Amino acid sequence: MDPAIVVDHVSKRFRRYRPDRPRTFQEAVLRGLRGLGAEGDFWALREVSLQVRRGEMVGVIGQNGAGKTTLLRLVGGVLMPDAGRISVGGRVGALIDLSAGFHPDLTGRENVYTNGIISGLTRREVDRHFRSIVEFAELDEFIDSPLRTYSTGMQLRLAFAVATHIQPEILLIDEILSVGDLAYQNRCLERIRQFRTDGSAILVVSHDTGLIRKLCDVTIWLRGGRVVAAGPPELVVQRYEQDLREATERQTPGRGKTQMTAFGTQLQLMKNRFGSQEMQITEVSLSTGAGAAMTEICGGDPLQVSIGYDAPRRIQSPIFSVTLSKEDGSICLDTNTAMEGVAIPDLAGTGVVRLNCERIDLVEGEYFVDVGVFRNDWAYAYDYHWHAYPLTIGDNPGGKGVLRPPLSWEIEA
Amino acid sequence: MKPGPWQKANYLRDLLSELVRRDIRLRYRRSVLGVAWSLLNPLAQLLVFNFVFGRVLPLNIPNYPLFLFIGLILWNWFQSSLVSGTGAIVDNRDLIKRPGFPTGILPVVMVTTNFVHLLLALPVVLIFVMLNRIQLSPAIVILPVVFFVQFFLTLSLVYAAAATHVTFRDTQHLLGIFLLLGFYLSPIIYESSSMPVQVQPIYRLNPLVFLIESSREAIMKGEWPSISGLFLLFAVSACLLGFGYLVFKRASQRFVEEL
Repeated sequence: MDPAIVVDHVSKRFRRYRPDRPRTFQEAVLRGLRGLGAEGDFWALREVSLQVRRGEMVGVIGQNGAGKTTLLRLVGGVLMPDAGRISVGGRVGALIDLSAGFHPDLTGRENVYTNGIISGLTRREVDRHFRSIVEFAELDEFIDSPLRTYSTGMQLRLAFAVATHIQPEILLIDEILSVGDLAYQNRCLERIRQFRTDGSAILVVSHDTGLIRKLCDVTIWLRGGRVVAAGPPELVVQRYEQDLREATERQTPGRGKTQMTAFGTQLQLMKNRFGSQEMQITEVSLSTGAGAAMTEICGGDPLQVSIGYDAPRRIQSPIFSVTLSKEDGSICLDTNTAMEGVAIPDLAGTGVVRLNCERIDLVEGEYFVDVGVFRNDWAYAYDYHWHAYPLTIGDNPGGKGVLRPPLSWEIEA
Repeated sequence: MKPGPWQKANYLRDLLSELVRRDIRLRYRRSVLGVAWSLLNPLAQLLVFNFVFGRVLPLNIPNYPLFLFIGLILWNWFQSSLVSGTGAIVDNRDLIKRPGFPTGILPVVMVTTNFVHLLLALPVVLIFVMLNRIQLSPAIVILPVVFFVQFFLTLSLVYAAAATHVTFRDTQHLLGIFLLLGFYLSPIIYESSSMPVQVQPIYRLNPLVFLIESSREAIMKGEWPSISGLFLLFAVSACLLGFGYLVFKRASQRFVEEL
């Protein structure tokens, strides 16, 4: 059987216009019709080829501007390629811009109909799926209230519920699972897997390498509009992540002031400090929440990590990360603001970001807290402090294990 | 398995009716009067013009309110379609970027929505007909054909205007000026025969002259309009439509590319 999606040596060129190009007749006439034409062009995609078979899921990774979204739009028929051939066999469904056509003044029910029909269902098909859509969105009692009374999460659930009832033969997905709570995300993933089992050909575009690794059969890595690598997700993602790390290292200035931390560790670029330094982590302190900074806590204590930053120039919503690892490098806790769905605003100047853990139930021993701040697409780190902040956890014997939650033994004899 | 043309047509019909419903719902959702709103505008115009040209500067046209009202609702359909349709691409960026969305349907939605308003005003025409004791003749059956031709004509212009609006965002304002001119260059408040003979050939190039007159004659006098004229106008509109559609498709493509 023919693959459902064939992209054959496709290139796409975008025109670039002058930023001061006249936008109105008035300006155009005043300037004597100059500056209307394109100034130049650039290739958003170059010689890209891929195939997706029925029941197969192909993931595309790459940084912003690599051409991922352009690729999806070409496959979806929104754009036409300048060279090459695209063939798509079957009904296309898209988990992109889910809320297109949603209107706050209409009720949930009315929006389901509009959105469903916009997404490619006939009215009768929406009738048939209506119950199941509402159930999937878990919005039974609100379905006849206007959409403006819904929370963002509720709107998203409704949109996703509609989108998953299209029964597409071709499914295009663009970064949609970054929202909603974890349980709901899992249900969405489950649904997407179901589509694949039912024989949909799925093309997904994402920054989230973990998701790509988990879901896809084949991964394609795009950089600057070209395919860098294509193949098994494990290998491609690994190469991609390595490339990102190297990018961070390349961005790290070779020499800089060495800085002492409050713990007496020397922070030295390229040794235990990495990143472009466009934004710096100025101070990190650990505490149990209320009291003063400390380097030793007891097992089961709360832990607060305060990260002081300094952004001389405006930084667009960066991502903060905290990792707790053992001396041998094995990671016990790994969290970041993007993963937890915390929206960091654009930052300028100085400030403090805090992570609060309610309990640290690790066994006693020596640990390190690594902190970092990354560009919002994970392209590279602005600043990353590696093994610079030691943390001793005491008074929690645990043998060879890692974890020691409060526990008690009982015996019934 | 590609969807057949029949399924596709079915789908487009559903999409069109849903988008039109949505537009109409949205317009009247928060008003007490509801759909009656759509009548308010032409009725207010009727009141004003009837006062000015019936009393202050009498034009002495028989059954002037009916004469006026037919002209007004046809003109309003044309004008509102153009004004709202001009933003068809720019105001619907989220839809245009959706895979599989048939972009070309948006202008059709605008013209249809405004056509619904015309339909809602037709009972008022009927009331006038009864008040004036006009005997309707079989010629009335030509009305749907006249509407059909006007639909095509308006649609082709909406396609072109929406495409222009992508590049020049003041198209909507300029359009307002042209429409104001168009209002007075169409036989809405006066009879077309009042135009001086010398300018008649040019004046008649305005397709609305023919459309408005045909409707009036069919309703008020029970006369059949020139069928060949209707056909000619339809053929011209169809050509314009093809051209307008192509320009529109290209503009909507370009619009997606310009981020």
